[in-house]
Parts: sequence; structure tokens; C-alpha cells
Amino acid sequence: MNVDNTIHFEHVSRWYGQVIGLNDVSFTIPKGLTALLGPNGAGKSTMLKLVTGQIRPTTGGIAVLGEQPFSNPRVARNLGYCPEIDNFYEDMTGRQFVELMATLSGYKGQDKTQRVQNSIDRVGMSDRCDRKLGGYSKGMRQRIKVAQAIVHDPKVLVLDEPLNGLDPLGRRDMVNLYQQFAEEGMCVLISSHILYEVEQITDRILVMYKGRLLAQGGIRDIRKQIDSHPHRITLTTDNPRKLAGALLLDDTVISARMPQDNHRVVEVETAQPEKFYSNLADIILDGGFEVDVFQAPDNNLEAVFRYLVSA
Amino acid sequence: MTADFRLFLNALKDVLSSRRIFVALFLMVLPAIIGLIWKSAAGERFEALESYNTLAAGLVFGFILTILSVIYGTGVLSQELEGRTIVYLLTRPIPRWRILLAKYLGAWLAITVTVSISEVLLALAMFGTKLSGVPLMSDIKIIPLGAAAYGALFLLLATLLSKPLSYGLLFAFGWESWVPSLPGGFSRWSIMAYLRTLAPHLQETAESTTETGGGGGGDISEILMAFNPVSIPPITAWFAIPIITLVCLGLSLYFFSVREYSPKEEAS
Repeated sequence: MNVDNTIHFEHVSRWYGQVIGLNDVSFTIPKGLTALLGPNGAGKSTMLKLVTGQIRPTTGGIAVLGEQPFSNPRVARNLGYCPEIDNFYEDMTGRQFVELMATLSGYKGQDKTQRVQNSIDRVGMSDRCDRKLGGYSKGMRQRIKVAQAIVHDPKVLVLDEPLNGLDPLGRRDMVNLYQQFAEEGMCVLISSHILYEVEQITDRILVMYKGRLLAQGGIRDIRKQIDSHPHRITLTTDNPRKLAGALLLDDTVISARMPQDNHRVVEVETAQPEKFYSNLADIILDGGFEVDVFQAPDNNLEAVFRYLVSA
Repeated sequence: MTADFRLFLNALKDVLSSRRIFVALFLMVLPAIIGLIWKSAAGERFEALESYNTLAAGLVFGFILTILSVIYGTGVLSQELEGRTIVYLLTRPIPRWRILLAKYLGAWLAITVTVSISEVLLALAMFGTKLSGVPLMSDIKIIPLGAAAYGALFLLLATLLSKPLSYGLLFAFGWESWVPSLPGGFSRWSIMAYLRTLAPHLQETAESTTETGGGGGGDISEILMAFNPVSIPPITAWFAIPIITLVCLGLSLYFFSVREYSPKEEAS
């Protein structure tokens, strides 16, 4: 197992006494931005602790940048970690905290000063970094945690629930920042239990539930994995009854129905979404239908997650 | 500034944090205050050397050195664990043993300085500025050794146990109070017995106190000591204390490198 520039898990399980935290999980995360999604208690933090070398797997193997990460300074040299915990050395200022982390990463003098300032600038804390951490808001604390995680220019950046406590504007800024990191070549792994949040960040996800990896890949790819579950599409048109009839003639369509609360909508179920989408244009054009709104709610991450969990 | 030196300074800063500095200051002046009260209460019958030896043996070495070693020694690790800040240290590119060693040295310096000041203040309270013939320097010399051995032992407890403070206190005030007095060579299992060997006036104090009925005390430990006089050769003590320190410190560094120290996550 020697996969550079990636995080690689091979049949990893982790037990806490009698309780299993992670159950036979295998995956590879390449460069770019990947989201780790799952409800509280799904095993996300266990997975991130394993990636960052804080704990060891009970069975299986982990490689981060080609090396096992537990208590391994060579991995830590290239790995930045923003923990979920909201704990700091409260007597320090934000700058002192980031400086301490830079010092522990081996930087000195002007190089350290420059790195600290750059990190603080990137997270938008330049004007507040000389205040004590104890007086920071939750959002400011999140930003400083990210600053300390990037001060040593890591190749792998692990962020545990990094958008908690941020206001909408702050979320947008930080999401843009994480996307920039990914574009710069970092392998960025972000955990979240908030579905809409993840959708806005990336379409490459790992879905965790009760210690198991339910699915991995793009949201649409994951949708394909759930081939037993019909895919749902909603069309809003001026003539829903006629459109429903035309759709039912297509062999990719399982059902078409009109909800009672909205008489302009047709809900279609298909088990072959790709083929259905290619046929749909012809059906609409041939029938001369005016379709105002087209929605595929099943491509919504929440729906994907719901299917996976219920399965 | 290197990472190790920064960690060392941080450990010192932790010790000097507002909450702890008051405890340290209190312990620094406590023997001197008690000495002055004793002096004024005894009046003309006051024996400065005997009082000094008694307070140095019982209070400075028997209490302040051990309690500070328990608090600072276990605090090196447990403070980071309880504060959940350890995650920031363990995910940095610095070997774990160096983190712990730097923090241990900070704690050792803090214990040594605090106890030494306490000892000096006691001597000044007992003898004024006329310190010739006072065994102050022999005490000052063994304080760093005691701080190193106790600090390393309690650090080892912190690396292995989830409640090191409780076990440390039990050891400091249970084991170290009784074991040196037990017959059958048990004193060889006590750090305090070795320290008393290196500062003979502390040992003489304990023995003479027992012979004379302990100045009115005469508890079971003193009776036991009368039947089991401490007879560790100084050369043994000079070797034993560094060996205890190195073994405990080495094991602490090893366990800290291979064990998991991960704070629990907050409930979201």
C-alpha cells in the first residue's frame, strides 16, 4: 500500500472496547476536495483521527501520502488538521496560537512570521488576530483553527466540521477558500453532517453511517450505485395529464403520477435515469409540451443520503 | 526559537498561570510562616536548627516537594488532555517524545525553583541572614534530584492512567509516608528514603524525633522507624535517584510515543 498524495484505507476497522467506531472501511481519496458525510455518531471523527494519526486502526491498513500516519512526524509535516473541538490555549492571541503551531512545525524567524501572516490573511483574520482567543466568537475560532492547519503548507488538509458556527457570509468565504486549496493541489477532506452544506462544497463524497462506508464517489455516481431505488424526476407543464401519458409509453419509465396538491406537476420514476434523460427531449418535442420547470430531486444529496441510510 | 524550547517555555507558562501561581506562592511562603509562628510561640526555648530540620523534612520535602511534583508532573500531560489541546500538539511534525520531554523539563524547573525558594525562605525565617552552619545548601542540592525523580514518576502515571492525580496523591502521601518506615528493607522502594540519605540532617531529624518521642507526636510511622532505621548508603542513593528518574522518564516517553491520547469530541 503506497499511494502518494492520497489517503488510502484498506479494510480498516476501529473498535473502542466493545463498541465499533469504524467497520471494514476501504477507500482512496485523491487530490482535490472530498466531503465526508454522515450523521453524528457515524464514525466521521474516528476516521479523521485515523487519518491524522491520533489513533491506530484495530485492523486494516492506512496510508497517508504513502505512509502510516500514527505518531509519524513525516506524515504530520504534510498534513494539516482542523479539529472539531472548540478548545484552545485561551490566554493566547490568535496570532500567538498560529505562531506556536508554526514553531512546532519547525519554522523560525522571518519565514515563520511570513507564514503566520499569510495563513491569518487567507482565513480573513488579519484585523482580529491580536485579540485573545478567549474572546473570539465561534466563527473566529473556526477561522483561526483553519489558519493553524495551513500554516505549514500541508499537502493534505483535514477539516472536521469546519463550517460550524460560521455565518452565511463566512461560510461562503470559507467554502471558497477550501475550494481554492483543492485547486492549488491539496487533498482536502471535509467532514460534515449537514447535507446542503456538502452539496455546496463538492460533489465528491464519502457517506458514513454507523461506522460503515455506505457509498463513495460523485453524488451522481452514488446515485447510480442505488440502482434498486427508482430515480424521481419532477416536470411542471401546462398539460400534465397528456405528458404523463406520453411518458408512460417510454420503456424507461416505471410510473408517472400527478400530485393532488399541484395540478401542473408530473412526477416520474425511472430506474434508468441516463436513458430516460436522453429520451425525454424527444418526448417533449414530439408532444409539443411546454415544460416550465424540470427537477431531479433524487440528485439532491439529501435524497441520496436518505436512500443510503434507509437501505 | 526551536519547537522544543517553545514547548519548554509553554510548560513553564502553564505552571505560572494565574490559578496555579497563587498555589505556588502560598507553598513558597508556608514553611517560613509556620517557622515564624513556631519561633514566636517557643520564645526563649526556640531551637532554630531543630525547627529548621523538622520543617524542612516534614513540610518542604515531605509535603511541598511531593505535592508540587504530583500537580506539575501529572499536569504536564493531563492539562493538555483535559483542555483537549493535545490534539494540536500530536498532529504537528515533532516526535511525541520530544513534546513530553520539553514539557517535563519545564515542570521540573518550576518544581525545583518553587521548592528551593520555599527552603531559602524557611532558612531566612529560622536563622535570619546568619546562614553559616545551616544545612541549606545540602537541601538545595538535592531538591533538583527529588523534583526530577518525583516529576518523572508522576509523569509516568499520567501517561498510563486516566486519573493520575488521585494515584499520585495516594503515592505521595500514602506510600511515601509509610513505606520508608516499614521493616524489611521497604525503604529501598521510596524516593523519600533516598533523599533523606542524601541530606542526613533530615534523616537525623526523623530518627531523633522518634527517639525523643517525636516532640509529643510519636505516631505509628515513628515507632516503626525506631525498629527500622534508614540504612541506605549514600552512594546507593546517588545512583538510585538518577536511575529512578531515567527509568520513569524513559518509560513515560515510550508510552507517550506509542499510546493513543485523543480527547473525546464534543456532542454536536
